[in-house]
Amino acid sequence: MNNYVKALIVILVCMAVLIPFASSDPDGLERVAEDLGVEETESPSGGIMPDYTVPMVKNDYGSTLIAGVIGVFLVLGAGLVLGKTLTKHDS
Amino acid sequence: MHIPDGFLSLTICIVMYVISLGFLFWSWKKTKNSYSSSMTPLLAVSSAFVFAAQMINFPILYGTSGHLVGGTFLSVLLGPYAAILSMTIVVIMQALFFADGGIFTFGANVFNMAIIGGLSFFLVKALTHESKSNSRFFFSVFVASWVSMVLGALACGLQIGFSPLFSAAGGIVVTVPTMVFWHILIGFGEAIITATLLTQLKRMPSTVLSSFTTLRGGIE
Repeated sequence: MNNYVKALIVILVCMAVLIPFASSDPDGLERVAEDLGVEETESPSGGIMPDYTVPMVKNDYGSTLIAGVIGVFLVLGAGLVLGKTLTKHDS
Repeated sequence: MHIPDGFLSLTICIVMYVISLGFLFWSWKKTKNSYSSSMTPLLAVSSAFVFAAQMINFPILYGTSGHLVGGTFLSVLLGPYAAILSMTIVVIMQALFFADGGIFTFGANVFNMAIIGGLSFFLVKALTHESKSNSRFFFSVFVASWVSMVLGALACGLQIGFSPLFSAAGGIVVTVPTMVFWHILIGFGEAIITATLLTQLKRMPSTVLSSFTTLRGGIE
């Protein structure tokens, strides 16, 4: 099997294993905003999977996992397109 | 570190867009001239890894968490310019689909994570200084990824501090030290993960990782 496919499988498995252990505490910037009393307003863009969840899926773990898998493939696809575009030499 | 919409004034959003688009254009030109198609799968898979890793927050201290940004990781694997483009893809997807980082603040987020992260390549390069030693490599990546995290936080602290929402709460005098403080700590997580992963990858047999040109030839 191609090494990159193997690497991708490792990434997905690690993600599935680690998601339940991910900290839900605020990150550095969120913490600074909270401490200063700045409220995060609802994003105008929204996003169809806000905070890495699929709203349709009720199970927290499943919801985050599905969002994560979709995200990994979105980025993978975009990376392949970027690579192809970069090597398409001007004719 | 992802700045949501609403945190930055319109002026700062525009300024950061202009700066970041300038860097992206420059990176595009640089990459276009030097990029070989054998790098494409590495670029795609390492970007996907960074996206996944950014989802996993690790606890730091006093109820604050952080996650890998991965700018230095990508820069050592792909070189600085392709890393800037690759990290930009991650930031785009997060803003468009996951409401992680805003659309108006996209320029700022690209600057703080993709551009600073990509450019940290030059710090790795300066610190390894043609040495092939694995411990020297580990040390260089460790320092560069820590610095890139702290500089990103510094930039973020300035951007939010000059914006009305935060200037009412004290401005840069408050935002810069607090952002830097938390990211000094988060930066150690970034540094340990990045240096460990890259050193392990560097030690793998070259038959397995033939396209890791930057790693193979030393940081050139």
